[in-house]
Amino acid sequence: MRKHFLLVVALVLVAAMLVGCTSESSSLLNKIQENKKVIVGTSADYPPYEYLDEAGGITGFDVELMAEIANRMGVELEWVDMPFDSLVAAVSSGKLDMSISCFNYDEERDKTVDFSEAYYTTEDAFVVGSAFTGTITVPEDIANYKVGVQSGTVQDGWLTDNLVTPGLLPEANLSRYERVDQAALDLANGRIDVLMADYVPVQALVAQNPDLQVVFHAELSTGPINIVLPDGDTELKAEIDRIIKELQADGFIDQLAVKYFSE
Amino acid sequence: MDLGQFVSYIASGTVYTVGVTLISLPAGLLIGIILALLYVYGGKTAARVLNLYSTIFRGIPPVVLLFILFFAVSKGINLSAFWAGSLSLGVVSSAYQMEIVRGALLSVSGDQMMAARAVGLSRLQAIRYVVIPQAIRLAIPPWSNEAAIIIKDSSLVYALGVPEILRRAQLIGASSQKYLPAYISAAIIYFLLVFITTHLLTLLEKKLAIPSNP
Repeated sequence: MRKHFLLVVALVLVAAMLVGCTSESSSLLNKIQENKKVIVGTSADYPPYEYLDEAGGITGFDVELMAEIANRMGVELEWVDMPFDSLVAAVSSGKLDMSISCFNYDEERDKTVDFSEAYYTTEDAFVVGSAFTGTITVPEDIANYKVGVQSGTVQDGWLTDNLVTPGLLPEANLSRYERVDQAALDLANGRIDVLMADYVPVQALVAQNPDLQVVFHAELSTGPINIVLPDGDTELKAEIDRIIKELQADGFIDQLAVKYFSE
Repeated sequence: MDLGQFVSYIASGTVYTVGVTLISLPAGLLIGIILALLYVYGGKTAARVLNLYSTIFRGIPPVVLLFILFFAVSKGINLSAFWAGSLSLGVVSSAYQMEIVRGALLSVSGDQMMAARAVGLSRLQAIRYVVIPQAIRLAIPPWSNEAAIIIKDSSLVYALGVPEILRRAQLIGASSQKYLPAYISAAIIYFLLVFITTHLLTLLEKKLAIPSNP
């Protein structure tokens, strides 16, 4: 009996702690504004979203975007680098105010944290040269052609997993380039038939090169990405969402996308 | 980024590796010695409680304790990643170091205690002047093993984002796509740290050796 009693006491204490954790209701937004500082976590090992620059500082699409968000909130930005797996736990336990690290929405994650509005949705595009006479109605159709892609990108991963591994696209017909502009050059020269890349930088590419055109675009390898916020903090979410919409409306995010995704 | 910058970026994480080790290893030693003395000379109840202590903390992976300290207890006490890492490693290590010191204390023959008491030393004096000086010498080889383990385990704090050697290797590996050189650099740095430490401890062991009792 005594052992059971201790167990019950322990459980009650744990439950009280948990209740204590969730009943903190005042918005983090007030704290951020009072301290004039927002603490944001990222896993700086995912170029071009977040990575180290030559000087060893954190840079990337997410990083510059967050800097602008903090700027528009009128607060300083403090970065905390952490492995990706630890970020959600760090936000839900209050170690971080929020986290930006190319997070896709995920039901499991949504149970312990909240998500902002998507600040960016990556779409994939297929680009062809003026000599191209084939047709692409479903994405798998490109398996019939010589395909180019930037190596190590999500598009490279999608092509490898969905076309090369199942044997639809022979490995020899997939050319992996260090940069998208190198692939575009080969496309214009006819060495490859189709280039798969992120839609945003591709639009800039096509605008510069009248020989090229986009024949297909869709969310294949990617999707909407969001900022991870503490669970149930509606005030903070409203403020972040408001700024994200502002940044989308005034073209800031599109400019960043061109800067980071068009190499 | 040239090779020099590349390696020195990873190597600058050594500060954290050495920092975590310099906190957790001596803390674990201090607690370990006190607990071992209590275990051996403190009577049955103390021995039972400490046996439980040792069983629990040797049974929990340091990284689990690290997450408990950093994420679960964080509401009450706001520990930084560095301190959460140092403390959890120190606690786990104290259990191991207690066992090391306890083993050393027990391997000093009981006859020596009797002989010391027979020539008029008190029990405390016998422990202080006869048993401990011999036990410490016996404890050095297994202790240098523990030191090597702690140096390597300090890499666990990378999981909380402390920019130590391993995390830096990951980051620079990702941004430069040179994963192999990055991890090999990290391995070499860890190896050198452990090699130097164990070498110094071997020298200490030789220096402290009792000449007639090699």
